[in-house]
Amino acid sequence: MTNNGITVLFFSFAADRMNAREKIYELPEPLSIQEFFQQYLSTGLREPLESWLFSVNEEWVDPQYNLRPGDALAVVPPVSGG
Amino acid sequence: MVDYYLITEDSIDITEALTMIDDPATGAQAIFLGTVRDEYEGRKSLGLYYDAYPTMAQTHLKKIGEAMKQEFAISHVVIIHRIGELPVGAASVLVAVSAAHREAAFAAAKAGIDRVKSEVPIWKKEHWADGSSEWHDHPDHSGNVE
Repeated sequence: MTNNGITVLFFSFAADRMNAREKIYELPEPLSIQEFFQQYLSTGLREPLESWLFSVNEEWVDPQYNLRPGDALAVVPPVSGG
Repeated sequence: MVDYYLITEDSIDITEALTMIDDPATGAQAIFLGTVRDEYEGRKSLGLYYDAYPTMAQTHLKKIGEAMKQEFAISHVVIIHRIGELPVGAASVLVAVSAAHREAAFAAAKAGIDRVKSEVPIWKKEHWADGSSEWHDHPDHSGNVE
């Protein structure tokens, strides 16, 4: 990973749609999760921003969170454990 | 006499869990065990695959257990969620609580499993008897998961 890279984690059907559980993205400019989602993820995930929860480095965050180099962003579908 | 939280691919050891919550000062142990059903909404199933964000899920189990100890008069908590491929009948989740009295033990165990099912980043995929598979959280899935 270079200086501007973030790691994005996918689970459940999101991993199926992205064909990956983990991808590294290079960000040419600082982006919020919302901006990153629209530019890089919405086409592949095929569900709107409102369908997902997000965590960064294992803490829940809002889509307004500004991504920083080295962040691990998880795209979290509605949970269904038990 | 410990609290213990675990996401694991191994079988859940119920005896070990009860040993961990054991405490001479308590007179009650309540245990909830979730097992894999052979049907869902009337459709025959062969088993479940559980996906998870393991590190975050385990942290969440601990948060839930600590909240249970704040809210209820209980002594010890063990929460274990198994992930991976599970056949029908296998135990997928365990919530075990020890307390001085049964009321608190039952109430805490119920609150614990309710929170595990609604808050912990774990997802299950049904393996239908007809050979197809389906994520419970998939947008096209018809039913809401409890």
